Formats: sequence, structure tokens, C-alpha cells
Amino acid sequence: MKILVTVKEVAEVEDEFEISGDDIAEQYLEYDLNEWDDYAVEEAVQISEEAEDVEVVTATIGPERAEETIRMALAKGADRAVRVWDDDIESASYLDVEAKAELLAAVVEEEDPDLVLTGVQAGDESNGATGVTLAEKIGFEWAAVVNQLDLDIEGGVANVHRELEGGVEELTEVESPAVLTIQSGINEPRYASLRGIRQAQSKPLDVQTLDDIGLDADVLESPLAQTDLYEPESEGDATVWNGDAEETAGQLAEFLRDKGVVEG
Amino acid sequence: MDFELPEGIDQIRKEIRRFGENEIEPVAKKYDREEKYPHEVMDKANEMGLLGASIPVEYGGAGYSVLETSIICEELFAIDPGIGFCIVASSFGTEAIQEFGTEDQKAEFLEPVARGEKISGAAISEPHAGSDVSSISTRAEKDGDEYVINGNKMWISNGSIGDFFVVLCQTDPDAEGRYNGFSQIIVESDRDGFEADKIKGKLGIRASDTAELIFDDVRVPEENVVGTEGMGFLQQMQFFDATRVGVAAQGVGLAKGAADRALEYAQEREQFGQPISEFQAIQHKIAEAYTDIEAARNLTYKGAWAVDQGEQITKLASMAKEYGSRVAVDVANEAVQIHGGAGYVDDFDAERFYRDAKILQIYEGTTEIQKNIIARELLGKGMS
Repeated sequence: MKILVTVKEVAEVEDEFEISGDDIAEQYLEYDLNEWDDYAVEEAVQISEEAEDVEVVTATIGPERAEETIRMALAKGADRAVRVWDDDIESASYLDVEAKAELLAAVVEEEDPDLVLTGVQAGDESNGATGVTLAEKIGFEWAAVVNQLDLDIEGGVANVHRELEGGVEELTEVESPAVLTIQSGINEPRYASLRGIRQAQSKPLDVQTLDDIGLDADVLESPLAQTDLYEPESEGDATVWNGDAEETAGQLAEFLRDKGVVEG
Repeated sequence: MDFELPEGIDQIRKEIRRFGENEIEPVAKKYDREEKYPHEVMDKANEMGLLGASIPVEYGGAGYSVLETSIICEELFAIDPGIGFCIVASSFGTEAIQEFGTEDQKAEFLEPVARGEKISGAAISEPHAGSDVSSISTRAEKDGDEYVINGNKMWISNGSIGDFFVVLCQTDPDAEGRYNGFSQIIVESDRDGFEADKIKGKLGIRASDTAELIFDDVRVPEENVVGTEGMGFLQQMQFFDATRVGVAAQGVGLAKGAADRALEYAQEREQFGQPISEFQAIQHKIAEAYTDIEAARNLTYKGAWAVDQGEQITKLASMAKEYGSRVAVDVANEAVQIHGGAGYVDDFDAERFYRDAKILQIYEGTTEIQKNIIARELLGKGMS
């Protein structure tokens, strides 16, 4: 059995930052493994530890810098990694969900996995759409926002709990091959061990170009363009009172009186 | 000239910091105050595979070089020197078994340490033999196929919680030459006649366990001798380069931990209507601290790298140890100063780092001994 986990390196922004052009200035950014993908990797590695002959492969769209993050997933137990990147992708003006799903679909076609795990969303752009779009493209069954997974490998069925709006959970069965987008909290991601980090240095990490995965630069064209980036103006303030009800109720009453909400 | 660090170092740093933030920082003050060994943190460190970093892969460890373990040590000491010490010390003494042990000894003693099931220790110092190592008097007498051990060992890390110790004993008091007639012998703590008395009231690294060991007719089989009988002292000396570089790395980490906290505090604390980091007096303190740390780090990494190349670096190791520990004490001192009154109470970490720093100038050869060694090497004098 083969599990493909899509892994994204995301930019994390410091509390205080400056915007330079259409982006946050580089010196305020730190790069790390996308939080939701960390849960997806953990889920895949746990499956590989519980069952025989399970290969875990990670797939990433990202520059060379992303290899540090990819190695972390390998250190936690993934077997090998694929990274898609070339000059065309580097110079693309905006990689939209459609383009990313197209690139990942080409990797899926090459790898032919039984299960694809993705994070529900990425911490930077938060589209929450790549996993499901990928499923549509490759014609796999899918389940989004999975917070519990029980896999019947022989039967080729994934029993999943899906988190819906308003605290409602859906229990459903998905037949493999399938795409599952993994919600945070489904497991407790491990730390990479020192031994794992050492071993990860010698695990295979293949870099593939658009050409290698059978695509050309047309796939990168997007009807979307990023036109601006700005910090939203704060339009209101919240006041929080701490203390017991007797004390805070009085403060609230006084506040409402001051603001003219109540009279007297 | 190439300053490239080994592959994977960035991941190691990142993951240790994550572990430290989640598992060590929230409890560091508590273990320091209570003077308690952090068993719970050690279990988590073991789960993460942080123990036995230097033990070879074939015995279940991670097989890291001296340079890599120095960087691990640096990161841990920057988080909390007390608990950091517990983690790096959990395999103390095993270097002798790695280098001189038989296959049986390696399987029996290295593997459980690498798996986090056992804690080891090295027992050298005695109540009356600190810097003057060759005056130790713990006696191991041969009796048939056993040794009978009598004597006391002092300031032994992991003393009251360790499962076994590599103990430097006198096996031949009549041997000629000051450094002959000693042997390294493994003593398990569950042997009859073994007793450990925990030492309380330490100034710093209070989460770590320190004890006096008392050997009263402790019998161990002759298979417990590590390496060659009578060569124990000379065997022990081979590790001084690596262990001194290790303490230098502790100093670099401790200083970095103290400086980072001071830098953060200086930007938050406001006086006279501005953050104190706007004042040149504070800026100079911070600039000097980070410059000293970088110098100590480079001295340490060079020493660690040279040990990994198989070079004998007596002078360089002593320089790194002396300078690294001095920088730790100085930077921790300035960190408290930058914190002002807040640095004098335990609401902030600064006072703990200040207390923790001093031991670095004492253990593994005092500052004075290191300077003696450096001078001896410069003057071309041999050991006497």
C-alpha cells in the first residue's frame, strides 16, 4: 500500500511586520511545515507503523529552501519525498489552487497511491481547497475535514469522522483510492527524533520539473492575480473585564451607560 | 576554510527548540525550586529520541559526532541548563564503554541507555581528590574472579538515580608512575554495599541529581573492568578533549539563553518613556554579550570539529572550556543587570541562568586547572 501526503512549507509571520510591495518583507518571515500537513504526515506514519508494507511518500510544490521542511517529514517517518519545482514555476506570477492541484495530480498519476492525505488547509493562504480540487481532478473519492480515520486496508475502505459546521460530526465510509483532508487534532504529531533526523538525510528526495511530470508551463496560467496586500484597519475594539460577576456586571453597566446604550 | 555545518543541524536545532518550548520551559522553574530530578521530562525526551545522541547507531543511539552533540548541548542549555544537563548527562560514562568496552559490555550497557531504560554515570572525584585526580583512593582489590571495591566518590552526577557507574578505582597501589595502577570498573547501583547519598543545596542546575557514592565491600565480576586493568587513568584522559568541548558548548548555550532573554526584556521594559533597549548603555551590553557568545561558539565548534578529525587538542579544548564557561558567567551576570530588580527574583529566568552558570567554571576541570594546562602546553612542559 502506498500513501501520498501533500506537504507544504508555509511562511509564518512575526507579530510585528512590514509590507514590502505585494508581500510581507522577507525578514519578518519564518518557514515551517504547514500545521495541518504535520497531522497528515503523522496519520500516514502511524498507518505505516501498524500495517506491513506501507510506503509513505510526501509531495511538495516548493523551492529548494523547502527541503529543510521536507526532511523534517522524512525524519518523522515518511519513506521518500518528491519536490516539484523549476524555473517556470519559480517565475509564475501566482500559483492558484487550480494550478497546484494540476501539479499534484500529475504526481499522483506517476505514484499511483492508494490513499492521498492532505492538510485541510495551509496556514498561509488558507484556501482550504487544494485537497478537494485534487480529488476531483484525479477522480478519487474524497472526504474533507477528517478528524478520525480507521482504515480497513484489505477491504479498501476508510471509515472516517468528518467535522461539520456547528460541532456536528459525520461518520462515513470512503472507498480507496481516496483523498482525505486531515483536520488538526486527529492525532498528536511526534517530534522528529535525533536518530530520525540522521536517517532522513539519506532518504530519497527527488526533484521533478514540469517536464518530468508531463506538464508544460500553460498549466501555470491563472485568471487570478494578486493586486494588493494591506493590513486591515481596526474598526472596533473589544473590552474584556476580568473578575467575578458582581464586579464585572457593575463595570459593564457603567460602560453601557457611558456609551449611551442604556439610560439612567 | 569552510564553515559549513553538518546536514540536518537546522532540523535538530528547530526540533529541540520546539521540544524545549513545549516540554521544558513550562516546568523548568518548578524543578529548580524543588531540587527534583525531572523524570517526567526525561520520559518525554526519551520518546523524542533525545537521549544517547552519541551512542553508535548499532547500539540503538543516534551516532552523532562531537560537533553535533555539542550543538545539541548548546540548544538544550539555552532552554534550561538544569534540565538540559539531565538530558546530556543521562549517558555519562558510556564513552569509556564505547571506546574500550567489549562487545558484551556494549550490548549490556550501551543499548539500555540509548533506549532510555537506564541512566549511567561516571565516578571520578572523591572527597579529597578533586582537581588532583591521581590522588584518588577508592580501592578495587582482586578476589578470585571478582573485585571488591571500597571507598567514597563525591559530586557524582546521576548518583542517586543512576543504574550503573563507570568508577575510577585504584587496582594496583604499587604501580610505578603517578598515572598507572588505576582501572575503570562498571558498578551497578543494585550491588550489595552500594549506597548513594543525594547532595542537596546546590547553587544551580538544581534539577540535576548529584550524590556521594559509598562503596562498602561492593563485589563486581572481573568482566566489569572496562579496557585494560591498570590503564584506567590514561583511558579516562582520552575523553578530556571531548568532555571539555562539551562543557564549552554548555557555556555557549547558557550564555545564549541568558542573552536572548535579556534582549527580549530590554525591548519590552520601558523607562523614561522608551524601551531600555534604546539606551546606549544597554545596547553595548547586548552587543558585547552576542560578540562574546559568537567567539566562544567558534572556539567550541573548532575544538569539536578537531576532536572529530581525530586530533589531540589538549590546549584548544582547555581554551574552549575556560572561555566558554567565563562567557556564560559574564553574560548571565549582565542579563540579570539588564533585568534590574526583575532579574533578582524568579518571575524571570535570568536569576536561574545566573546561578546555573557558575558550575561551568568548576566541573570538568576548574578554570585554574584549564589555565595551567594551556600554559603547560605553551611552555612545552609535559605532564608531571
